[in-house]
Amino acid sequence: MKMEMLIEKLTTIFRKVFDDETIVLSDQMTANDIGSWDSLSHMLMITQVENAFSIKFSLREINKLKNVGALIRLIESKSVND
Amino acid sequence: MTFTSFGFLIFFPTVILIYYLLPEKYRRWFLLLASYYFYINLKPVYAVLLAGITLVTYAFTISIARAKTARNKKLLLILDIVMTLLPLFFFKYYNFVNTAIYGLLNTAGIRWPLPEISFILPVGISFYTFMALGYAIDVYHEEIEPEKNLSIVALFLSFFPTVLSGPIERASNMFPQFRGKFQFDYNKIVKGFQLILWGFFMKLVIANRIAIFVHFIFRDVEHNSGSSLLLGTLLYPIQVYADLGGYSLIAIGSAAVMGIDVMQNFNRPFFATSMSQFWRRWHISLISWLTDYIYTPLSFRFRKYRLLGTVIALMLTFLISGIWHGAALTFIFWGLLQGSFLSVEAVTSKQRRALFKKYDLTKKRWFIFASCVFVYLLFAFSELFCGPVSSMGKTFLIIKKIFLNLNSPLYYGSPSSILFTLAGILILFVFEWQTKGHEGHFPFLDNKNWLVRKLSYAMLIIIILMIGVFDGGQFIYFQF
Repeated sequence: MKMEMLIEKLTTIFRKVFDDETIVLSDQMTANDIGSWDSLSHMLMITQVENAFSIKFSLREINKLKNVGALIRLIESKSVND
Repeated sequence: MTFTSFGFLIFFPTVILIYYLLPEKYRRWFLLLASYYFYINLKPVYAVLLAGITLVTYAFTISIARAKTARNKKLLLILDIVMTLLPLFFFKYYNFVNTAIYGLLNTAGIRWPLPEISFILPVGISFYTFMALGYAIDVYHEEIEPEKNLSIVALFLSFFPTVLSGPIERASNMFPQFRGKFQFDYNKIVKGFQLILWGFFMKLVIANRIAIFVHFIFRDVEHNSGSSLLLGTLLYPIQVYADLGGYSLIAIGSAAVMGIDVMQNFNRPFFATSMSQFWRRWHISLISWLTDYIYTPLSFRFRKYRLLGTVIALMLTFLISGIWHGAALTFIFWGLLQGSFLSVEAVTSKQRRALFKKYDLTKKRWFIFASCVFVYLLFAFSELFCGPVSSMGKTFLIIKKIFLNLNSPLYYGSPSSILFTLAGILILFVFEWQTKGHEGHFPFLDNKNWLVRKLSYAMLIIIILMIGVFDGGQFIYFQF
């Protein structure tokens, strides 16, 4: 999957889950940058990503995610492997 | 020895003096020695338990990292969790489970009583047990390397500022500091003393003063009036906050004096406008521990059920939080109540956000104020199940009397006593509204003017000495 497509798809998910049409993703972005991104909405976002990209994460992978850039790289690696 | 004991006034300055006089390479060993001395002073046999959990944690974390297969890693982690939890279960939950099983067997017509055990709960066990478990789980998830130096693991679990009631620290924050150089940092030392001073103000002036009312009011629920019980209900959350919050500041401040950064435990909780915001500001170290090690794995497991999965994970997490507080039906109910509050917020979050946006409510002062009051009242109601009285029956009697017997004489002690209490609370709220004391920002104590600075210190010390209640008993969270 091309990087632009991946980011576009991910942006749509972020905007829908976190209910904010102005979200523009960046590598360094974390939960601190989006008001409604808390531990409750986090797992809803993860589930949407899994469904949209037809991939499965492990708990260990999710725990290690430090920012949006890490999530993008993880999705990319899983999409290639699949 | 505890922070408010006379012994601590001798112990702490002596420790700091020797600590900074010693060459840097001996400071960690000295801190370990001082921490065990501090803990042994409570009851020597408890230190054996602490040392035991330290050795179990040390051995298992290294074994987990060395295990060749995923199955062995998991097996070792499960064994570690069981062994670390055994003492906590034995001291805290044995009698509760024993009575429950006996009751169950009795209804089935079987009489098979096991003896009751009347041990006093070792102080701090709930806190260092969670710290040990968190560290082992982090090693299992490869988020941290196992520590080969036993003295660092031992100091992490026994560190005297945090051993009695937290903050429940993480190995990833403490190990690098304990491996480091323990350098002298003047600014950190000043900040540390400021936090200690404010912590003593919260504990001695506010918590212990409120305790006089609350203790009197809740001691005799049957005979106290509805209006007095309402006063007790409204004051109790502030008492708990000033008690554990004050303790936490003394702990964080003591650590800072020795150059060690310990995590923040409260962040102006009564200025939260929703329950989910409240739980990100209240007892942060416990809640973030529960989020990382209980809520996240559960919500991950139930993620296919989406919002329902979130609700299940929330309810189970707060149920465990309730059980952590104590082995009683009231605590279990308290946990379920908190879980329900957060679940309602989670389920209605989209609709609430839309409503706030439509009327621009989040910027309206009256709405922010009303939200803070609403959150406070919800929390005050739920706290009735978290310690002030010992049974569900008494808790429901309080609620009944508040609604049915409100028009009744109010107990408020002596006029000077209630005045000092209210003045203390007012100072706390104004201070928290205006500043960020928990993050170490004290406008008067940090003032550029030398005289203002000195006078502020003097005033605070005088207030503590004159209005503080010094025989107000132990910190509330020692019972947990």
